[in-house]
Amino acid sequence: MSLLEVDDIHTYYGESHILEGVSLEVDAGEVVALLGRNGVGKTTTMRSILQLTPPVEGSVIFDGEELVGRDAYEVAEAGIGWIPEERRMFTRLNVEENIRAAVPDGDGVPAALETAYETFPILRDRAGQRAGDLSGGQQQMLAIARGLVGDNDLLLVDEPSEGLAPQIVTDVGRALMDAAEEIPILLVEQKLGLALDLADRFYVMDHGQIIDEGETANVSTEDERLRRYLSA
Amino acid sequence: MIDHLALGAIDLLTSPGDLSSVIVEGLAKASLYLMIATGLTLIFGLMDVINFAHGAFTMYGAYIAAGLMLALVTAGMGFGTVMFIFIVVLALVFVLLAALGTVLEVTLVRRLYEYPPIYQILLTFGIAITLEQFMRMIVEFRNINNGQWNFDWASPRRQTLPSELGDAELLFIQFTNLQLFEIMLGALTAVGIWAFLNKTRYGLFVRAGVEDEEMAKALGINVQRTFTIVFAIGSGIAGAAGVILMWDPLWSTSVPLALDVLLPAFVIVIVGGLGSFKGTVVASLVVGMIDALGTWAFTTGVIQFTGIDELMIFTILVVTLILRPRGLFGVEGMGDHG
Repeated sequence: MSLLEVDDIHTYYGESHILEGVSLEVDAGEVVALLGRNGVGKTTTMRSILQLTPPVEGSVIFDGEELVGRDAYEVAEAGIGWIPEERRMFTRLNVEENIRAAVPDGDGVPAALETAYETFPILRDRAGQRAGDLSGGQQQMLAIARGLVGDNDLLLVDEPSEGLAPQIVTDVGRALMDAAEEIPILLVEQKLGLALDLADRFYVMDHGQIIDEGETANVSTEDERLRRYLSA
Repeated sequence: MIDHLALGAIDLLTSPGDLSSVIVEGLAKASLYLMIATGLTLIFGLMDVINFAHGAFTMYGAYIAAGLMLALVTAGMGFGTVMFIFIVVLALVFVLLAALGTVLEVTLVRRLYEYPPIYQILLTFGIAITLEQFMRMIVEFRNINNGQWNFDWASPRRQTLPSELGDAELLFIQFTNLQLFEIMLGALTAVGIWAFLNKTRYGLFVRAGVEDEEMAKALGINVQRTFTIVFAIGSGIAGAAGVILMWDPLWSTSVPLALDVLLPAFVIVIVGGLGSFKGTVVASLVVGMIDALGTWAFTTGVIQFTGIDELMIFTILVVTLILRPRGLFGVEGMGDHG
């Protein structure tokens, strides 16, 4: 049994049928990339797993337990962390408070702060600064740190390199690679090179469906099939 | 008219005794307003629920406290004993009203979070009318005030305040101990709420939930439970404010107290900025000071219009809405408890 088993989920935004029977799996110890053009349903797949946009049909089994029908906070309690596309800082809270908020049980706060500051030392210097005043790169570091410090058994990472300067992308990629050694990741990433570097396997989505999958070891950024799927 | 007002202002500014009296009275009034408005702004700040039942909670707090004081305080008791009973009653009312708030949130208000604000306004308005009429049934239809039990709701105040609290003087500033007591409670409320929001884990969850409810949930924060706790605290503070109003000679334990409280509370919350606790503190000070100034102007004959307090307070509301529609510290689309 896989750590995460998404089976034939159908998700709607109002009348719009966004996910039309998506199925995928993430095993313990692996990084899985979810590839596809903008608007094909990658983020909605993550939101459906997290029960932020609950699927109307299908099931999401995590560590042997059904998540469909549970509250989003219970999904987090079950051990799924989320690093969202738009970073979603609590901009009026300072850096330290953002990290504290990611440890709801409270016991692990000192260790969480240390983990975050070791991963991104700049955050230690900015601990008392409001998150809304950070640069885009620092906000992304904080978003990743927040995902790493939670007591998570799986991370859903959505477009971590979006809008970042090349040097910051390198730092973020390194942090995710380090994280991947300890925690499985489901990754949505537009930069194919970064996705293939990080992931062991990949799924390709189009029009709310999984249309292809494979091992990253067997493809490259020049792969015609992948480039066709991902081209606008 | 203008000359008359100018002379009055000069008279006030050149009379340290009068000026200090106005300031002390303003601080005491501001403390009461802060206690009245804090629950309202907390509930709106996190939950976007405009709680029209807020004034009814305060009215219930006043009646419950007056009833308990009537039952527990006897003529021979010393001042210390009465104060002890008062503090116990204050705590008990907070707990009872917090429990009532919890029941209402869990059974009624929670069902309407996903709907437009008008649904919550109608619901809480309905709760307010129901609570008010229920109390009216008890105290008027059953004729408790003048009938067989002959309850005198003002007697707890007469037994202890203001005469027994007495007056005091510090440097050249004269004040009553009731004013001092109200100022201390107001300061305690401000510091307590600030500490709750900024120094506790639940306060952190409240501020996170205010800003991005969905992200807070995704981090494992039970925002629903946080909503319930905030609603309970807000309701408890509203009830506790009623306990203080029961003692203040300018207010009274009566059913109309619900509306008397609701209007200035809304003015303060709107002037301070919807959902901003900092704004509520500042707006309470502004409204309290202007209220005290109006009272001084009337009692000294500078202005001979009995509604001067209300006129000035609502003028502040109108001016704020024209010049700064979001209030002094309000931010569009989110509460700020800083």
